[in-house]
Amino acid sequence: MRQNSLHALGALAVLLIVTCAPACAQTVLRLSADRIAFYYDRFLVEADGNVRVTTSDGMTVTGDAFSMDLKLNRFLISSHVHLHSRGGDLSGAAISDFLDFNRIYFIPVVSEPDRWTYVDGDLLHPLKGREMPGDVFAFPQLAYAKPDLVSRVATIGPKSYVRFANPTAYLFGAATPLPSFYVYFGANQDLAQNSLSGASYDATWNVTGNNNSISSVHLRGDPTNGVYASFEQHLAGEHEYAVLSVNPGTKQQHFWNLFTGDRLGKTFQFTTFSQLFTDQKGLTQPTAASAVNYLSATKALPQSFLTLQETLVNYNLIGPASPAIPNHPTATQLTSSTVAHQVGHLPLFEQLRYGFGFNHDALGLQQYGGFTYTTIWNHLFGMTFYTPSFKFGNRENSYKTFYFNGSFDKQRQWFSVPHHIETTNTTLSVSRTFSRDFSAYASYNIANTGDYYLQGGYVPFVPVINGTPIYSFGAFRGVATLHTTTLQMTYSSNPNLLGTVTFRQHRDFPAPVPDLFPLPPTNVLGQYTYSSFLGQAPYDLTGEVRARVADHFIVDLQRTYYFNFGTQRWSPNFIVQVTPQ
Amino acid sequence: MIHRIVRAMALLLVLATVAASGDMALTGQLLAYQDGFVFFTNGAGFRVAPGVKILDIATKGPSADLPRPRIYARAVFDSAGAVTELDLSRAPLPIEPLSDAIAKYSVQQSPSYPNPDLIPKPSDLKGAPNAGSIAGSGRPVLVVITVQVPVLTPPAAGVYITTDTSGWNPQAIQMDRIDALHFRITRRIASGTILRYLYTRGALQSEERAANGLDRSPRLLAVTDADVRAVNDTVYNWADTLTGSQSVQPNTIPTPYNPAPFPNLPTGMPTPHPARR
Repeated sequence: MRQNSLHALGALAVLLIVTCAPACAQTVLRLSADRIAFYYDRFLVEADGNVRVTTSDGMTVTGDAFSMDLKLNRFLISSHVHLHSRGGDLSGAAISDFLDFNRIYFIPVVSEPDRWTYVDGDLLHPLKGREMPGDVFAFPQLAYAKPDLVSRVATIGPKSYVRFANPTAYLFGAATPLPSFYVYFGANQDLAQNSLSGASYDATWNVTGNNNSISSVHLRGDPTNGVYASFEQHLAGEHEYAVLSVNPGTKQQHFWNLFTGDRLGKTFQFTTFSQLFTDQKGLTQPTAASAVNYLSATKALPQSFLTLQETLVNYNLIGPASPAIPNHPTATQLTSSTVAHQVGHLPLFEQLRYGFGFNHDALGLQQYGGFTYTTIWNHLFGMTFYTPSFKFGNRENSYKTFYFNGSFDKQRQWFSVPHHIETTNTTLSVSRTFSRDFSAYASYNIANTGDYYLQGGYVPFVPVINGTPIYSFGAFRGVATLHTTTLQMTYSSNPNLLGTVTFRQHRDFPAPVPDLFPLPPTNVLGQYTYSSFLGQAPYDLTGEVRARVADHFIVDLQRTYYFNFGTQRWSPNFIVQVTPQ
Repeated sequence: MIHRIVRAMALLLVLATVAASGDMALTGQLLAYQDGFVFFTNGAGFRVAPGVKILDIATKGPSADLPRPRIYARAVFDSAGAVTELDLSRAPLPIEPLSDAIAKYSVQQSPSYPNPDLIPKPSDLKGAPNAGSIAGSGRPVLVVITVQVPVLTPPAAGVYITTDTSGWNPQAIQMDRIDALHFRITRRIASGTILRYLYTRGALQSEERAANGLDRSPRLLAVTDADVRAVNDTVYNWADTLTGSQSVQPNTIPTPYNPAPFPNLPTGMPTPHPARR
């Protein structure tokens, strides 16, 4: 509980930093009109009738028509324009503000029209008669385009967001009234950090937001939970962010997530992830609750970097009333890694790593030799080598050129329990693009994992499945080798349609036997949470089709066939994902 | 298709009208109509003659529309440079450049002088690879993006591109594996587009990291006019597979720490123990 409190305090500190972070010094536009239309695909805001724009730097402009290209960050107001600013009150035919360049172009009409340019915010001294760029008063071509959203009031944070009050959104042509809608189009990807798990589909309604925050409601669906709603709050400053969510929000089992991150200076950063799981109806007393906290800090050094990882888990926050196990395991690991270096002048690159750390659980981590280890120390050394792509075949014709890649990774980890684990991973691949539409690659991977004890270790064990002894497994002594051959072919006649077929053959030791090895757990989409494991079906064939079904949506359909290995014929279900573009 | 036909017919109508009349005329989109002047979106304002005729360009009868911003119009000038006729059209009309003969009718109080801003300068996009000029016609350019991923990328991993234009959706553009270490995607992107992007493995928690292990600033791609554009990038690290790191995913409860490297051994298998002597 103390650990959780510390993490909560840390997270709160980040939240405060983020919330109190001064918003970037930017001009905010408040727009009202009889009709404001938003064209999502082109990031255009067009308004007509009784247009009124008030800027946060004290300028008010009224007119008959408004046009703003959010990406180009410039706006235009035309027809019966009245400008009120510290430069006085002026009337004219049109005004165009290029925010990025601090240039305002104005056509005043006093007795006759003129052309004035305001430079660098100086509204008192217009440059009269100065030539203007040819497109400053141009409207975008929208004759037949249909808006995605219509409103009467909008707030625009240039190069960042637009927020509409009481808009009507057109979803697949149907008018849907909403209390508000927010669109972020800025460059700060921290504001898009998300803490939700994968889903088959996710319709996001950004309810409100500004330059530093987004509040969103998600309507989601996946094969495990069905249809449900989730809530997510994003906060981001210049160097830090925090994301809170509850997901699924409308189911009995909730995950309350909090991600935070901060970049302190140019060479240090940290991220945290805290997750509270509760089994409860609404906000009643949970029948089960657990918590997980991660901390990751990275320090960049010349030619290397240090990574500190800490994990704190509390499987039971309820107490004896809950059947959950009461363990509170923790883990800490400090690792130093080099950046990739070329080995001499050879076509070969290397990367080294060394680390140490410990795991602790007061209720015991491992029993060995009649002793229960509650703390296990470890240290590790690893190295990675890989080649650049080698070309062979007909190098003059890119459709007849083959590419070869190789990589080799080896790591040994020693523990205070007298054993070490050694992993070796070797991959060789050859690829070729046969035509503009068709490409293929073949790869061969050997993954070797050995768990070696100084004395004893794994003892021969012959399991019995449905009354049949599995003698092949009796040879297993803690060393496994997985050989995987992969052939993948991709066909894409155009960027909106793609089909992929992947065939894999596994030759593994211990040999796979149906029902012998428990299958890995699956995520909510039905995918295995880890991809390389003992007991994989000897053959699998995965088909995937990805197609753009609408201007803003891509559908991905995927399923795997296991050639009737035991009871495995097909993967549990189709993996369907609808991705907004 | 219907829109194209309407546009073509409108264009033909305008050309035929101009050819038939022989008057001085300008076709374009209106910016404003006020105070005795009509303004086009090229910024030029022209005096309107008293009794100007407001007609429908298709029927040549009186127009149901009034001159207003965004509407397309053909202005006919008299010899003094005043607009005597405005033919309105809701359908787009070609926007003609301002000829010298008509430009002289444009009314402007102050004498015009050159603008130093309009002298070409080196691009502000120094950081963009092959940026050159960002001037683009908007025509689709075939962009082929190829990325090399780290050796420790999980074998069944998907690689995606997240962009500022997708609101940093971590699965915005799914890439296709072309060999053990490379992924590729081909997209048509309008020239003139400036794209900020990063690579992910489907979540921002598995976003790419710089060679020094830290977050990296988004990559910048400026699409210029070309037939094909090839982009080659390298991802040095993933946030969730940095050496020593543990995979953090929402909605998963980790299993209790288990030093055994085989997470799915058969049920009933005895745990490792010292040799019996």
